[in-house]
Amino acid sequence: MTTQAMPSQLATLPLTPSEDLLVLPGPALLADVASRRVSGGIGSGGDPSLRDHRARWGEPTMLGLDALHALTDAAGVRGRGGAGFSFARKLATAARHRSLGRAPFVVVNASEGEPASAKDAALARTSPHLVLDGALIAARALGAREIHVIVPGDRPRTRGLLLAAVAERTTDPASSGVRWLTHTTQARFVAGQARAVLELMAGRPGLPVTAWEPEAVRGHRGRATLLSNAETWAHVGLLALEGLGRTLGRGTAAEPGTTLLTVHAPGRPVTVQEVEHGLPLGAVLPASARSGPILLGGFHGTWAAGSDVVDLPISAAAFRERRLALGAGVVIAPGLGACAVAWTERIVAHLASESAGRCGPCRNGLPALATAVADLAAGRPGARAEVARLCGLVEGRGACAHPDGTSRLVASLLQAFPEEVARHEAGRCGARQHLIESEAVR
Amino acid sequence: MTAPTTATRLRVDWPSCDAHGLCHELLPDLIGLDDWGFPILPEHVPADRVLEARAAAKACPKLALRLLQP
Repeated sequence: MTTQAMPSQLATLPLTPSEDLLVLPGPALLADVASRRVSGGIGSGGDPSLRDHRARWGEPTMLGLDALHALTDAAGVRGRGGAGFSFARKLATAARHRSLGRAPFVVVNASEGEPASAKDAALARTSPHLVLDGALIAARALGAREIHVIVPGDRPRTRGLLLAAVAERTTDPASSGVRWLTHTTQARFVAGQARAVLELMAGRPGLPVTAWEPEAVRGHRGRATLLSNAETWAHVGLLALEGLGRTLGRGTAAEPGTTLLTVHAPGRPVTVQEVEHGLPLGAVLPASARSGPILLGGFHGTWAAGSDVVDLPISAAAFRERRLALGAGVVIAPGLGACAVAWTERIVAHLASESAGRCGPCRNGLPALATAVADLAAGRPGARAEVARLCGLVEGRGACAHPDGTSRLVASLLQAFPEEVARHEAGRCGARQHLIESEAVR
Repeated sequence: MTAPTTATRLRVDWPSCDAHGLCHELLPDLIGLDDWGFPILPEHVPADRVLEARAAAKACPKLALRLLQP
């Protein structure tokens, strides 16, 4: 029963974004990536210039609204905000809410606030013009005259590459009649949230506010605004450039195409890879990281035992069925021996400190929840019931999803690791022993 | 984009709410308060309570409470 003190697994907790990435070649968006580490700037991950992009793909064919809607609907293009909202439906909503003399806006959100996610950073390194082509095609289809590109303030290299790519567009004949504008977010977890981005565009602090209507109905300057994340725009761009058939040939019949994942596993840099829907989750993890706890969907995501999810297909439907969330595609696998309770304690403390502090239940509830989770980890009596109560109390009570995501994370800890939680309640951290036992049972 | 709602609801503009608690005082059986004095709202407002709910929304000193009707 005696176990040696483990080296701290928490050393790899990605609370701040890393720009030292490994971007692996993929089937579609990352098809042209040479497998190598892209820690440097332009040139280290292939040439992302507009000239090379055009040499590879030619001029983008502009599509009418109906054609773009049909194309993105058939390809099943979805948002990456967790709900997996259909891009085609959002496009249709924005189109319906246009009015004479009030041109809609197109927004590229390339400022993922989740520090553990690096998919936007990977696209900026490898194929920023796929992203911008997607936005340009949509702007033409909708009659938008401005494309706003939101770049991350806390990832200087990514920001620099995106600004350089946008600068190339301003002199590109294909952009005539369209203005490209850029905005830099503050380094903050909630700054990438859609309403926070609209606030930033309006010249106010980029913090979440209450959304009474979807931004596609009433967004920037009160007009219809089509806002999507960089990956979604890259899928739109690629679809328009290579046609529907190629996308339908990837993934599954129910969920065609690919998705980007950011994988954190011991002993290697943060890895961004593109997978076809339907691939088992274990395929993106090194063998050493397939056991032990796995955090799916990042800090607003859900915990699962590795052995329970390595065979799970990477698919929105499969995850939904298991009540797991893939969110923006972050997979954190700290490996056998990591204590999910201790990790959650650290993450919740961080999320509490990242509250914008504007909404009472979040400002008060997240620190209280962080304290309760720390009490649980330390084995204080009654802590588990208090954790469960506070999870229910903060959920759905804020302008943005920060309290909901934090509550989801903590609730999933109680759900996925009841025995480990019980050991902590009894004053012991049994992560290593517990996981060895469950492996032996198989 | 949002599913059509069939019931009247109350919604809080959370950044505006300052936990004055007036809504709870006016409708104690419908609106609770959390540990910090912020309102806990019901899923739906029963049809026979809509007038009272509207009055509570109007009474909010921060105009942070809204009645949303289908």
